[in-house]
Amino acid sequence: MKYLLGSALFLALFFIVGCGDLGKPDNPKVDGGEVVVNFSPELMKQSLIKGGVADANTTVFGYIAYKIPYTTINEEGEEVIVSGLMVVPTGMPEVVTKQIGFSLVSDDHGTIFANDEAPGVIGEKTNAPSGSAIILTALAGFVTLQPDYIGFGDSKDHYHPYLLKKSLASATVDFINEAREFAGKNDIKLNGQLFLTGYSEGGYAALATLQKIEDEYLAEIPVTLAAPMAGPYAMTGMAMKTLSRPTLTVPSFMANVGYSYVEAYDKELRSVFNEPYASRLDRLLGGDYNRTEVDKELTTQTTGVDGLFNPLFVNSFFTEADNWFLQSLMQNDIYRWKAITPIRLIHCIGDDIVPFAMSKLTEGNMTEVGSTSVETIPVEVAITQNPATPLRYGHGECGKYAYAVAAKIFGDIRKTAFGY
Amino acid sequence: MKRIILLSTITAVSLIAGGYKLPQQSLNSMALGAAYIAHTTDADTAYYNPANMSYLDPEIHYFETGVTLAHLPKNKYTGIQLLQNGTVTIPSAVASGESEVENIPIPYLHYVAPAMGKWRYGLSVVAPAGLTKRWEAAVQKLFAEEFALKNVVLNPAFSYRVSDEFSVGGGLRLIYSKGKVYSDGSLAGIPFKREMEGNTIEFGYNLALAWRPTDDISVGITYRSKVDLDQEGQANLYLAGIGRQFDATVSIPIPAALNIAISKTWDDVLTLEFVYERTFWSAYKTLDFEYGSPIQPALVSAFDDPKPKDWEDSNTYRFGLTYEYSDRLTLMAGYAYDETPVPAKTLNYEQPDSDSHIFSAGFKYKHSESLSWGAAVLYSKKDSRKLGAGENINGIVGEFTDGGAILGTVGMSYRF
Repeated sequence: MKYLLGSALFLALFFIVGCGDLGKPDNPKVDGGEVVVNFSPELMKQSLIKGGVADANTTVFGYIAYKIPYTTINEEGEEVIVSGLMVVPTGMPEVVTKQIGFSLVSDDHGTIFANDEAPGVIGEKTNAPSGSAIILTALAGFVTLQPDYIGFGDSKDHYHPYLLKKSLASATVDFINEAREFAGKNDIKLNGQLFLTGYSEGGYAALATLQKIEDEYLAEIPVTLAAPMAGPYAMTGMAMKTLSRPTLTVPSFMANVGYSYVEAYDKELRSVFNEPYASRLDRLLGGDYNRTEVDKELTTQTTGVDGLFNPLFVNSFFTEADNWFLQSLMQNDIYRWKAITPIRLIHCIGDDIVPFAMSKLTEGNMTEVGSTSVETIPVEVAITQNPATPLRYGHGECGKYAYAVAAKIFGDIRKTAFGY
Repeated sequence: MKRIILLSTITAVSLIAGGYKLPQQSLNSMALGAAYIAHTTDADTAYYNPANMSYLDPEIHYFETGVTLAHLPKNKYTGIQLLQNGTVTIPSAVASGESEVENIPIPYLHYVAPAMGKWRYGLSVVAPAGLTKRWEAAVQKLFAEEFALKNVVLNPAFSYRVSDEFSVGGGLRLIYSKGKVYSDGSLAGIPFKREMEGNTIEFGYNLALAWRPTDDISVGITYRSKVDLDQEGQANLYLAGIGRQFDATVSIPIPAALNIAISKTWDDVLTLEFVYERTFWSAYKTLDFEYGSPIQPALVSAFDDPKPKDWEDSNTYRFGLTYEYSDRLTLMAGYAYDETPVPAKTLNYEQPDSDSHIFSAGFKYKHSESLSWGAAVLYSKKDSRKLGAGENINGIVGEFTDGGAILGTVGMSYRF
């Protein structure tokens, strides 16, 4: 037996212990972020042709996306590490990339519930182009900036301050600053032109951002033009209309407003929502569920004993002038202030969630208080060039057309200024 | 994550027999084309038919070691490649290509201890299965830039002498396996790339039976169990040059195999052996990579969806001739016909296998009463494999030629 053991020991010499782990992916390195998407112009064009978005004659640029971490301030005034996606076109003429530089579009995303729907997360997880940056960058040649907002991406564990102007604007302004710094460090030449846009919640965030810039950063961050799209700029009116209806078309939207305002203004969920919904909201709005999944666990009945909202809360909202929710919404209304930057309020006439009248109301109010260049652009009319067009797009369908209209407006201004 | 790796020289890699088996794991077996089950005479008995250990000299330690050098010539593919369900055709000028030449050293070691009553024990360290296929050509690289499966088996064995004519045996197989799958479509204009490496330690068993009805006739039957190599590791998956890392697993079977052999010896000088081998490759149904979290959606079809294999059980017929030329010199030769288990439907560049004719020869020289040494060569000639339009689900329409293998073994045995 000793010979057998001796032989086994000899055999053991054939084995060594070590590590055989595969190295990390060999991705391109940049200073201050990470490359998450890198589609060449040819690949981008192939993809768009396959998707029916472009044909052989369409000019298509490449799409390189950087996920950039940065710091912003939440509603409570605390610093939060967040993230955003910066998308840069490639394959543009050298006169643009080396001499003139790129124009920036700050594009705030619309309402999302799942963390996987945030621009930075999509880029990181799919390594593929997506959403509005395809229009703004790959087709229109802008550098697109998409903050994930507080509550998504690198700050997933934080509640999302839904339709709260202070932190939405901070997240956007801080990302613009961070992106400009990133561009400087990574040899991405900018031309100083900056456009603000965004759809739905993003439209609200874009207008809130413009207000913050004009209040605090007018000299440092000159904005060429803002084109908010289909945003609920008049929060108070929007909430009154929604809570006065017996049913909620999409209960997750109003639930999200109530939840984020409770968090931001330090109130009790049970004072606003009935059970069992109050107990579900931390989970449902924590970033793991999409809108359809959230809606399934809520009720469409607005209030009452079996409704989503506590009837005492709703009653107070409509009857007491000092109701905290009413006061909070009024603080977050952004439809009436004096802007010096040109504003184009892009909105579909057929919008079934945020009515077209919202933009008209905002245009009227802002003009009334002294804004000199606020104009509403009906998407259906802009597309057809027919003021009498019967074409109508609902809120969900409208987005891509609205972005195309915005890209055209931005492109015309850029061409006038820089010739491309 | 298991963290055991092996010295690089012990990686067993081949494409010698159908599928990814390498049955030749000693000097005698190489010289006889693995027609070496019924009539085994040295330490390699522990591996080829442990029941035969009962018939070795009971007082003696048997030890044997050596190394096989495997030379795998290029596989050549001439034809077109269809992609995306046949909607894209890559012409022959681009789709044709050659695999890389492989030269791989494969050591082995066998030991049989003296008998302990009716019992006897032995041990083998061998590399009986594995493959490496590397392509640098644009289209083939998309499927198999490198596809490697390397296995080492530690196989302790026993025999029990039931009677002078009949003996049984068996063993435990401890298998260390390391897999590597790289693919890169960039040269073919497809922005997909995969790097996966994994390893595993698995267990199996083997059973054996030896019957000697007369002094000159031996019968042997052996069975090796199926072992699923559940490779665990990481995968880097790239879309357009940007990659993410995932935990990844993939399971590849070493199939069960049954050998039935008979040998006849004339005048204690000349022995002829015939082996029928049935390998149960039908266990290899799909190649299914699984990941710890969802991969990039654009890559799911290429790298996540299970790939049908549907291999078929295969037969191998082996003939071996041993001639005791003198007290010191033994000459050996072998021939085998080996059916491929890979159906035309699922054949792919990672394993463009075909039926083969195997020719082998070798000698052993008795240097002293204790020490013998020798050498053997084996040539495996693969048939060409032609795939017609609509025959192959991987879009291959063309012909594979060349390939095969040339192996050389040098070995020594020592008895004390």
